Amino acid sequence: MPSQSLAYAVLFGHVAFIVVGALMTVLSQNLVRALVGLIMTLFGVAGLFFLMSAPFIGLMQILIYVGAVSILIFFAIMLTQSWSSGDEAQGPSRKRAVLASLTALAPALFLGLTIIFKSPPSLLVAEETEVSALGRFLLEPYILPFELISLLLTVAMAGAVILGFERRKQR
Amino acid sequence: MMDIFPTQLIVVLAGLAAIMAFVGLNGLVLVYLERKVAGFIQRRPGPYEVGPYGLLQPLADGLKLVGKQMFTPACADKWLYWLAPILSLAPVPVALLAIPFGPNLQVLDINVGLVLILAFIGLNVLAICLAGWSSQNKYALLGAARNISQSVAYEIPLLLSVLPIVFITGTLNLYEISAGQGAWPWQWHILTQPVAFVIYFICALAETNRAPFDLPEAESELTAGFHTEYSGMGFGVFFLAEYAYMIIACSVAAVLFLGGWNGPGAAGWWWFLAKVYFLLIVMMFFRWTYPRVRFDQLLNLCWKWLIPLATINLLITALVIAL
Repeated sequence: MPSQSLAYAVLFGHVAFIVVGALMTVLSQNLVRALVGLIMTLFGVAGLFFLMSAPFIGLMQILIYVGAVSILIFFAIMLTQSWSSGDEAQGPSRKRAVLASLTALAPALFLGLTIIFKSPPSLLVAEETEVSALGRFLLEPYILPFELISLLLTVAMAGAVILGFERRKQR
Repeated sequence: MMDIFPTQLIVVLAGLAAIMAFVGLNGLVLVYLERKVAGFIQRRPGPYEVGPYGLLQPLADGLKLVGKQMFTPACADKWLYWLAPILSLAPVPVALLAIPFGPNLQVLDINVGLVLILAFIGLNVLAICLAGWSSQNKYALLGAARNISQSVAYEIPLLLSVLPIVFITGTLNLYEISAGQGAWPWQWHILTQPVAFVIYFICALAETNRAPFDLPEAESELTAGFHTEYSGMGFGVFFLAEYAYMIIACSVAAVLFLGGWNGPGAAGWWWFLAKVYFLLIVMMFFRWTYPRVRFDQLLNLCWKWLIPLATINLLITALVIAL
């Protein structure tokens, strides 16, 4: 079936895009290039959400992670003095590299095995969920986690403001 | 060969090509319009030598830009330096895909069209940051830093001013939002949401880096801001992208607040284009009327006025809908 092979091509194109971005993030000698790799990965993940017919989640991924979080990371990089020669990049020792890749593999293995052996039934249904249904889910059955997350964010924001004011007093 | 690709893919690709042609043509028209408006406001004729009424001037400008040497600064990060202008223009066709130009003139009727546009225009900030950072130029870096704090601040009231319309219509689909408004101006959302419209328009000016909020490129302070080092089409693509973002911002305003393609008499793309061009000319009048704001004024306006105002407007709208 031609459309089947097209679908596979699109899926593996996304996967390749994500992997290349991730490798760029990890291996790059320069902070901004690493950030561009991270953005590539986030973008590819947004594309995967589209493939799973969840365009709203995919667009939120772009709006929040690409449009806001990575911009803030960029701002942080600009405040440090990291020039494109990449002085900050000294190659890690072998022991650290092994430990780091093990740490990265553990959650990937865990999540991958969970998905393979205990896949949720919605995984096979390519059907778009209405945004209003998502909103109802957040405010009816899942209201407690939703409110806890907003509380956490408020506390984090207040903490950041307090830290900022303390810094200013010390000067 | 044809049956390998589904029809929808072909429609989207043809739509993308048509949209890019539209963006390029609009760039030419808007350059001419802007120079004529500037001339009108400063009591001079504007371009009039090249062609009748100077109509061929933008074409000549474009040819000049295409013919110029593409120069990369010695210390610049070459990849990121040339990635930036591409990344600036790339989201434009995607965002325009979701805009309903007419009752039957929309490439992609997607349920979350509004979020699509808001998500993709955010990429422009990233492109400007990359341009400023990779140029290895202090003016470019300052322009990029200004652009981040400006865009991050103004994105909040922009989202808050769009939400009341979503509350009223109960949908994020731009086609349905257009179709839900009547032909006459008193049936448009601007009547029920005038505050949201004003906030949206101010934020759109700031997000598209138009004067009086053109601090990222402030010619008198930063030579040319984030695109100081770009020559030839590197600069040309940024320029085209800026005009394209103006079109997107005005199109979204026309759809959300001004009834989209609806109008007295026959509804169609002509009404839509008329509204978009009216808003664009208003933007140009702003540019040549108001002086540039200072940076603290810019941030104070956003955090102390627009965000509280937009929040109050949103709460009142939610309250009225709930009652």
